[in-house]
Amino acid sequence: MEEHLTFIGSVTAQLVRAVPVTLLILAVSGVCATALATGLTAMSVARSPLARLIQRTWTFLFRGTPLILQIFMIYYGFAMIPWIRHGMLWTAFRDPVFCTCLAMTCCCSAYIAEIFRGALAAVPRGEIEAGRACGMTGFMLLRRVIAPSLIRIALPSYSNEIIMMTKSTSLASTITVLDITGVAQQVIAHSYRTLEVFCAAAALYLLINAGLSALLAALERRLDVDRAVPSISVPPVVEPLS
Amino acid sequence: MTPPSPTVLTATNIRKSFGDREVLAGISLEAREGEVISILGGSGSGKSTFLRCLNLLEVPDEGQIAIGDVQAPLARNRHGRLEVSDGRAAARLRTQTAMVFQGFNLWPHLTVLQNVMEAPLRVHRRDRDEVLATARTLLERVGMAGFHAAYPKRLSGGQQQRVAIARALATNPKLVLFDEPTSALDPERVREVLALMRSLAEEGRTMIVVTHEMAFARDVSSRVVHLMNGRVESSGPPAQMFGPDASPAFRAFLSPAAL
Repeated sequence: MEEHLTFIGSVTAQLVRAVPVTLLILAVSGVCATALATGLTAMSVARSPLARLIQRTWTFLFRGTPLILQIFMIYYGFAMIPWIRHGMLWTAFRDPVFCTCLAMTCCCSAYIAEIFRGALAAVPRGEIEAGRACGMTGFMLLRRVIAPSLIRIALPSYSNEIIMMTKSTSLASTITVLDITGVAQQVIAHSYRTLEVFCAAAALYLLINAGLSALLAALERRLDVDRAVPSISVPPVVEPLS
Repeated sequence: MTPPSPTVLTATNIRKSFGDREVLAGISLEAREGEVISILGGSGSGKSTFLRCLNLLEVPDEGQIAIGDVQAPLARNRHGRLEVSDGRAAARLRTQTAMVFQGFNLWPHLTVLQNVMEAPLRVHRRDRDEVLATARTLLERVGMAGFHAAYPKRLSGGQQQRVAIARALATNPKLVLFDEPTSALDPERVREVLALMRSLAEEGRTMIVVTHEMAFARDVSSRVVHLMNGRVESSGPPAQMFGPDASPAFRAFLSPAAL
């Protein structure tokens, strides 16, 4: 029993050292995918038919194919293209962490863009009209009226997507990245103790996601104006004026 | 004799179709400063669409609109359809007006005070202290002085509409458009909103009101316009419209309410 605990302890210590790699992939692809999704959302409502077509095609391709294939295609497939293999880009494309981030950015941007698109359609028309009626246009309308509502509507689904992304980072281990899952497999290759190692790895993912969930839930609460004001004491209704 | 007050709004021959359905079949309307014009008509008579054309929330298929002496930037595109030719100019035109909606349309993420301050502060870029002072005065005026920090969701419909009216007045617009402001309210709330609108009329605000409130149209407005099938069926001062010489169509429109 004691040997058991010592083993789990030392494995956990090894796995914890891989947490930064997992978090790095998550952070980079999370930020890039969100930024790209914002652009794609704008394209989805653009006047230009070409922009709308690009957005639809992007979503179709990256949502319709497995992420692991996208990772393989970028990491193994692009190495077969001479101008990448022998060009300036090779420094980036031979790095498995970069390839994972790129694949995840493309794939998850398609999902996040769909979340944003749905939220945009759900922003009450009246709020936007009230903005236009008082003379707001373009960026001001977006920033002052549309975005605040859009973010509040999108946040629950967006949080969900981020949690999914955390788990997807484990696919990086298939192209030699030593993230939490990668290190776990390495340890198993030496020790053959599958159950303990995978349990320890799973516990770390749980911990990361628990932290993220708490963070995102706190953000959601903060933005919920109805809860942000703790039961205001409502003054008596002033009687009709005449 | 006092000279006639200046014209605030000129709308000429406004036409609008949605698909095959012609909603506005050529409506003209002129509003002088201080006038309160009630637009009445059955549902589907085009009154809301007409009102929404006046601040270009709806682009008419035909016609011209001017607020004061500023012409609405409408021009034909290469397909011959009328469209807003200059978005900024359209926005500038809208800053001269304000609109009160049936569904209030307050911004839910802003407090009552922020809702009222938003347009003068961000769109008109007026001085913050000045805007704040005006907003306070207006909120007191509409009986919402104690609610500065409240969010719209917390308020009753009548309270929301009073805030929306304060928001509309915050920029000191030349013309206030009311799109069925009491239709979403229960009878008691209707009273408080109408009382407020009456007081605005009395202080000389130029208002165009699409409404189903006959008593308001009769007692408060300076002119009543009856729309039917996308046309002005009859119009005139309330004494004439509600008197014995009223057009038969308008009387027929009124009669269910009179019963």
